[in-house]
Amino acid sequence: MAEIISSPAAPTDTSVIVKAEKVNKYFGSLHVLKDIDLEVHKNEVVVIIGPSGSGKSTLLRCINHLEKINSGHIFVNGRMIGYYEKDGKLVEESEKNIARLRADIGMVFQRFNLFPHLTALENIIEAPLNVRKTSREQAEEDGIQLLARVGLAEKRDQYPNQLSGGQQQRIAIARALAMKPSLMLFDEPTSALDPEMIGEVLSVMEELAKEITMIVVSHEMGFARAAADRILFVDEGVIIEDTTPDELFANPREERTKLFLSKILN
Amino acid sequence: MYHFDWALFWKYLWPVTAFQNPLVRYGLLVTIVVSIIAQVMGVILGLFAALAKMSKAAPLRWLEEAYIWFFRGTPLLVQMALLYYGLGVTHIFNFPDWHIGGIITITGAIQAGVLALGINEGAYMAEIVRAGIEAVDAGQMEAAKSLGMTFGLAMRRIVLPQAAKVIIPPLGNEFNNMMKTTTLMTIISAGELFYGFEQINALLFKPFELYLDASIYYLVLTTIWSFIQARIEAGLGERKGNIKTPGMFERLVGSRIGAR
Repeated sequence: MAEIISSPAAPTDTSVIVKAEKVNKYFGSLHVLKDIDLEVHKNEVVVIIGPSGSGKSTLLRCINHLEKINSGHIFVNGRMIGYYEKDGKLVEESEKNIARLRADIGMVFQRFNLFPHLTALENIIEAPLNVRKTSREQAEEDGIQLLARVGLAEKRDQYPNQLSGGQQQRIAIARALAMKPSLMLFDEPTSALDPEMIGEVLSVMEELAKEITMIVVSHEMGFARAAADRILFVDEGVIIEDTTPDELFANPREERTKLFLSKILN
Repeated sequence: MYHFDWALFWKYLWPVTAFQNPLVRYGLLVTIVVSIIAQVMGVILGLFAALAKMSKAAPLRWLEEAYIWFFRGTPLLVQMALLYYGLGVTHIFNFPDWHIGGIITITGAIQAGVLALGINEGAYMAEIVRAGIEAVDAGQMEAAKSLGMTFGLAMRRIVLPQAAKVIIPPLGNEFNNMMKTTTLMTIISAGELFYGFEQINALLFKPFELYLDASIYYLVLTTIWSFIQARIEAGLGERKGNIKTPGMFERLVGSRIGAR
């Protein structure tokens, strides 16, 4: 097996959870990510905003290798994601190793993607049972606790189609947390929700933001202000601004940031 | 005016008297057992073929295409004859009879028949399984992967259980076909139900009465299966309540529409 820990540019600073270096990604001839550099530290909450098609979701999906990058490196917890280096060339990791790395990275999707044939609790314990090989007793105990944490203890035996969108998304968050991830990725977690359900999901996320490293693609500026340490503005595959929410809202440096903010804030 | 031999007709229809003849008794058993084994084989081969078709590895895809091309492009009857008689004369493989525990003998012809039926069925099941897998939202596989599941685990635990809802109704129709298609084994003298009636007819020469009896036997088999299938599909729809299952009448008289 390839030694993935001693890759060339792996960060030695253990407080760096995510490190991206010169990441490029193409969809065919479309250059979606252009030389992206990014560092996210332990317990930081980073919100990514940007116009649709700017590459923000793609960047997020590259971090757990749901999208393959074309060049550059991405490290999570000091381990290179998706590839190892052999004779100076990047070789894609075995499926097993990729899966192992993903197990430590939680992801929440725009469309929830709960497993419809499983109950809420079964959704949550599925991966701990079959990936982590946790005992059923332990997994259920943890699962029930997570359900309580997202405020849905009484829904444990309901199927996803019996739950509202907001409830489904909270279960999806609990499902990701059940793997005890060191990093949580949120891909537009509230944009498929009816407006009255956005609040319940954001408040769960705000609680979570106090204790776990998070990268959130979202246009919820209230959430960014309340919970984010940093906010990135991405446009045309480039990180245009990387600053605190207050700073971004008060003094956006670039003209296109101002333009974008004026659109989403009104 | 043809004189219909009612006594003979009833003798070979009524199980108590018909089963006194081992050709009918064992013939029915062979038909049922062969249908089940060949269908199971078809499902397994179909699953592997479907996965091969979706694979990133080009050789696997070519293998799948060659398999589908040959087994859907040639008649099953010919495949069966080729497998049993064709392979037999080459001495590549002879299908020796299996004796199990000194009581049961599985003849080489039955083995060849099951193999031909199963492999042929796999070529049709491949499409059905693939359609089932593709009906599952791609987000399901992504969510499973994001939780650290490998492709195999995600298929087994997340995708296939959902695909089953799409696969099982056409699978039931395939099994209905399978029970009737076993009659092709007559050509290799595998001793299934129709072969039994043919042998009896060779002695008595009463084709109208005997083949009518044979038809009724198959009709009973497929009708019983329709009821079982309806129960299975009702069970599938229970949880989500969103699969429209055809009524019994539609199932018995209309389900051939759109079948292959």
